[in-house]
Amino acid sequence: MEMIDRYIYAVTQRLSQSQREDISQELRGLITDMLEERMEGLQASENDVEQVLSELGDPKKLAQQYQGTKKYIIGPELYDPFIMVMKVVLISIVAAMSIIFAIQIIINPVNILDYFIDYIVSFVTTIPMAIGWVTFGFVFLEYFQNVDGKDLNLEKDWSPSDLPQLPDPKRQIKRHEPLTSIVFFIILMAMAVFSSNYFGIWAFNNGELSTVVPFLNEATYNGYMLLILLILSLGVIKEIAKLVNGKWTNRLFLFTMFIDVITVIVVMVMVSGPDFWNPLFMQELVQADMLTEGSDNYQTIENIWESTTLLTLLLLIGGLVWNIIASWVKVRKGKES
Amino acid sequence: MSEAKEHLDKLTQELRRGTITIGVLSQLSKPQYGYSLVTKLNEEGIHVEPGTLYPLLRRLEKQGLLESTWDTNEARPRKYYMLSKMGAEVFELLWKEWQKMVDSLNHLIDLDKGGDKNGDD
Repeated sequence: MEMIDRYIYAVTQRLSQSQREDISQELRGLITDMLEERMEGLQASENDVEQVLSELGDPKKLAQQYQGTKKYIIGPELYDPFIMVMKVVLISIVAAMSIIFAIQIIINPVNILDYFIDYIVSFVTTIPMAIGWVTFGFVFLEYFQNVDGKDLNLEKDWSPSDLPQLPDPKRQIKRHEPLTSIVFFIILMAMAVFSSNYFGIWAFNNGELSTVVPFLNEATYNGYMLLILLILSLGVIKEIAKLVNGKWTNRLFLFTMFIDVITVIVVMVMVSGPDFWNPLFMQELVQADMLTEGSDNYQTIENIWESTTLLTLLLLIGGLVWNIIASWVKVRKGKES
Repeated sequence: MSEAKEHLDKLTQELRRGTITIGVLSQLSKPQYGYSLVTKLNEEGIHVEPGTLYPLLRRLEKQGLLESTWDTNEARPRKYYMLSKMGAEVFELLWKEWQKMVDSLNHLIDLDKGGDKNGDD
């Protein structure tokens, strides 16, 4: 009876190796018993077999019964955060690529078709990759959550003191703030990788962009790019911490301060390092017909350019202090009420 | 009316799920194989599909409530299940729990129906 073998195979192929042998023997016995009862000693026909098998039902369902617990790649508990992260990542990617596309068209409108094709191609290549990585991360989480989860849930007795505090509106971090920042950081990352050469002064000629005088030294940029990506990732980590916490706490405050300080130190090392800025910046400005050497403007701009490192540092440290004070005020406010 | 029937079916199914376990445990002080158990239970009005019972037997075995042996002496090998020592203990307790539940529920419903007859309480 080939049909019986096919049925048993359809059930057992869905089960783990260790159960297969035993269950297939048991099932065969069951089917024979059912046939025997039906036939009362007569030879079973193909038709009878079919009836018995349809009584047993869909092999998929039977296999599920044997497996007992439902298995998830990403279970119901992780599903919502999974969808949220996926949305943020996809929105960021689409935004970043669209911005790059827009910049390219402004710079070189003639090649719009090429850029458009690039734009579409980059969708095809990066979006599946992003979806893949996000999914992979969550599958990983789910797997380890299941491994620990059992012990944690059984051992830990819940008590009312475990209840989370009611959100305090003054300390609360609105979800859209960190989300917007994450999108922003990812866009900056994409631009740092793909279009750093547009970071500079744009020289227009008859309404069309003729050249860009870059701020950064193109010869050394690739080395610095890693540092820039590191800084931006630190920013993303900080925003994720805010998102997860949902409110300002002392720990979150210390953590964000820690990240901010590291960021400032890395930037300091970077901007004061050798060859970070474009060494030919002034000459290139002159070549682009934006300045004439020796003019008053030239002097002013040269002065500003030479103090760029200092200005950057001042801005950064100012920003850091501002950030720390602002967060601290939020933490304090929550405590007073 | 068909909607009421649908609900009834669903609720009955939920109720049945737990009672099948009691029914199975009650029959296994002597060894039985799966299909003989299906027939027995159905004869006694406990409706159960083989596709539900067989996996259930395995689960109970895995939990240590049942023990099994393959009998290879007959025309074809059959897997016989029987209560383990712990299984017998669990069945006794479960049986008492079940009786308590039935009593309490009957009492509760009787109370309510009695109240209806005498006007509101």
